[in-house]
Amino acid sequence: MSTVVKQSRAVAINPTRSCAPIGAMLANYGIHGAITINHGSQGCATYPRHQMARHFREPVEVATTSLTEKTTVYGGKGNLLTALKNIVDRFNPTMIMVCSTCLSETIGDDIPGAIDEFQEKHPEITIPILSVKTPSYIGNHITGFDNFLTEIANSMPDKRKKKGETNGKINIIPGWVNPGDIRELKHIVREMGLHGLWLTDYSETLDGGYYEPRPHFARGGTTVEELRSSSKSLATVSLQPLIGGEAARIYERRYGVPGHVLTMPIGLANTDTFVETLTEITDHTIPEALQVERARLLDALVDTHMFTTGLRVAMYGDPDMLEGLVGLIAEMGMTPAYILTASENASWGERMVELTQGLGLESEIILKGDLHELHMRIKANPVDLVIGHSKGKFISDAEKIPLIRMGFPVEDRFGYHRRSIVGYNGAVSLVDEITNVIFERKATSVVSNTLVELGVEGPTSSPITLTNGNGKH
Amino acid sequence: MELKSSATIPERALHIALKEDGKCKRGDGAGCFISSNSATTPGDMTERGCTYAGCRGVVGGPVKDAIQLTHGPIGCAFFSWGYRPHLADTDFHMKYTFVSDMNETNIVFGGEKKLLQSIIEASREFPEAKAVFVYNTCSTALIGDDGKDVAKQAEAIIGKPVVFFECEGFKGVSQSAGHHVGNETIFRQLVGSLEPEGDFSRTINIVGDYNIKNDIRTFEYLFEAIGLKILTRFTGNVSVDDLRFMHKAALNVVHCQRSATYIADMMKDKYQTPYINVTLWGMKHMAQALRDTAAVFGLEAEAEVVIERELAKIRPQIEYFRQRLTGKKVFIYQGGPRTWHWIELLRELGMETQTAATTFGHEDDYEKIFDQLDEGSMMIDNPNVPELEEILTKRRPDLFIAGNKEKYLAYKMGVPFVNGHTYDTGPYAGFLGMVNFARDIDKSLHAPIWQTLKSRAKPAPAAHHSAHGFEEVL
Repeated sequence: MSTVVKQSRAVAINPTRSCAPIGAMLANYGIHGAITINHGSQGCATYPRHQMARHFREPVEVATTSLTEKTTVYGGKGNLLTALKNIVDRFNPTMIMVCSTCLSETIGDDIPGAIDEFQEKHPEITIPILSVKTPSYIGNHITGFDNFLTEIANSMPDKRKKKGETNGKINIIPGWVNPGDIRELKHIVREMGLHGLWLTDYSETLDGGYYEPRPHFARGGTTVEELRSSSKSLATVSLQPLIGGEAARIYERRYGVPGHVLTMPIGLANTDTFVETLTEITDHTIPEALQVERARLLDALVDTHMFTTGLRVAMYGDPDMLEGLVGLIAEMGMTPAYILTASENASWGERMVELTQGLGLESEIILKGDLHELHMRIKANPVDLVIGHSKGKFISDAEKIPLIRMGFPVEDRFGYHRRSIVGYNGAVSLVDEITNVIFERKATSVVSNTLVELGVEGPTSSPITLTNGNGKH
Repeated sequence: MELKSSATIPERALHIALKEDGKCKRGDGAGCFISSNSATTPGDMTERGCTYAGCRGVVGGPVKDAIQLTHGPIGCAFFSWGYRPHLADTDFHMKYTFVSDMNETNIVFGGEKKLLQSIIEASREFPEAKAVFVYNTCSTALIGDDGKDVAKQAEAIIGKPVVFFECEGFKGVSQSAGHHVGNETIFRQLVGSLEPEGDFSRTINIVGDYNIKNDIRTFEYLFEAIGLKILTRFTGNVSVDDLRFMHKAALNVVHCQRSATYIADMMKDKYQTPYINVTLWGMKHMAQALRDTAAVFGLEAEAEVVIERELAKIRPQIEYFRQRLTGKKVFIYQGGPRTWHWIELLRELGMETQTAATTFGHEDDYEKIFDQLDEGSMMIDNPNVPELEEILTKRRPDLFIAGNKEKYLAYKMGVPFVNGHTYDTGPYAGFLGMVNFARDIDKSLHAPIWQTLKSRAKPAPAAHHSAHGFEEVL
């Protein structure tokens, strides 16, 4: 029986989540030539910039309206107007996204009103200027990403559309993933012979190459024109229900673009669903290349099952990623003993209970959880593997349990933003990585489930140590 | 001197100056000194942070046995957690962050109750912690939470100091305001609250060093070698108790004179503790620091012995690097004082500071920079991204020394870079650290990648552009 609990402490100790503005900033990086203005204290722009630079290892630029004590008293409209002008003059962006903060929301600044005033005063400036609400005290980083997509869906697509008019593309909303994931998804769509319209695409803007001369804007990203035409797409496929699910529904409601909200395609079954959905939308069949990749994943699962079956896993992070990941973890025969998220979404919790039980798994799902809570549980009832972003390193260090790095941020290792965990290929590399980590442990120890069950040995993660014959390790 | 990239922001000219005929020529043509520590132009793409960052990240964060609790929404706590390598001999302060996790309901109805409960719970989870440091943020300040009062109540309940920092992000024009808040609060609430017995006549405090990547290991042994004892570090590798009795020291040795002179001044007023200003980077300055400190205690002879011994150790290596680095031009851009701390160090390595900038320096910082610069050098306050790009392309420094955010900008532009904020390797202080510094500069300048870029890098391939951008190429 899986259970769902909500952590009850008031204080958060080592949170797994950050705050809304960074989500909107990240999503906006997927629009070619778009610039973010963060309306608030300087720290609200500088901290997320720094965080993204540590994860993506790329220059990350976000403007701030630099609110100070004075502007806090008299309102920040003047600062916002100046910032808009300065950004247009100096950067010539294709689009501007203004996201709010605790500060500007609490003092009640009317950002859409200020944008209207700016556009009236400067009729020559015709680029789209979006306003996205992202106070840190509502939701978390995924809320900012989702609010951005909702705003895009509401305000960017062409409203005029002739009957039957189509751009021949499929809107795909990858959600909060890495550049490597987007590239893998593009690969699948391309192999299917389809055209994706990516909402949004930071696969190159946040994992770019070295070019001489350096382009004014990073290469890549979805263009404003594409956003305009997204109302004429064949369908929308959202690959994370909580990030982009709402946008997919807006496309359906407002523009008649059929929406498909899927589980994040991690593992075999979840990727199958994505690929099958593409075949349903169009009349394209699954190409040979994808069939081979799929078979390779099955082969990898067969080859590794004796090393992974029965292992207990603790995983934490964003709800959508966890939901997808459960698929692969179950396919590998492992049990997600703890599934911890900072979200308080009770219906997601219920869905996870159903999902895990349907897969024959017994999991404890912890809502509103933090990493200290997870650590305490692992101490009381250990696991073999921890999966999540790099902030969980202290648990892994203290308990000597390997950490599989996944999600955002991974700041203590190189290149995780380039890797993919989605699609058949992403799953194969995850299967390899997890198995190798188990091997690395077994190089010095033996895990015996039988001895544990008989009570001879401790839990699975307290391995029996091989000695070299003289009693020393 | 004007930068083209700032042509549309005329006030930026006040923050840019050239040294010509020994005089400061400001960008607007006026002769008077460079403008600093003033509000940033909105939307200019500044690199500045907020008051909370200066207080939580720089001054309070390194205290190793305090619970670091942010009163506010989650983001401020998440982003300030564990990335600045202000190390200590224990790592509780690096591993843990605490936050009262304000949500919308708390913002509407007030967060005081939740803060009190958070302090009590945090202290219950970690009973070995010696104090709770509570940092205020924008939203909790705006809704008028009386954090000071909550701290007082909490102190009575948990029986240990609860220090409340009024460091809401919008308070100042940069993180510099946060340093000030941090100094004042620690001084008011902690310093002088423990009175240990003993002889403190030969003890010093190292004030304004944050032990980035173990910097203290490069200079503390030098002070000890001349017969002094380090009582308290403010605040790299410091415990709450160390702070509480730091007033017992005979002398404050002030290193970062932007973020920590405040507490030295306050201690001088209240406890008559004298202080001296020092630079602990580079041969000349480090030696001078030891001499000046020793002079206060009448230990001049001992100091000379130590200096001679230590310099002898590094001279051959410094000489090796100096030959490889001579004539190189440097652009230093640091938060504040490091910019002027390093001009002399670079000169000792044969290098010239061609451009010097700070994020939050005040007038006294720029005076110290100006005095040390050569003719034709440029000084710039709070430079923004387009200005940095312009300096890197037009003034073509051989080396850029800045922080993590600027690192990837430099790399994308093919400019050799050394991370002066958090050190990619380090430590860089003291005599031995200077060898590390020189080695890293040498590595960055002479890595083969620059040659590879020069000979093999190509322009970006043509994208299928629509009006501005890029379409997926199938």
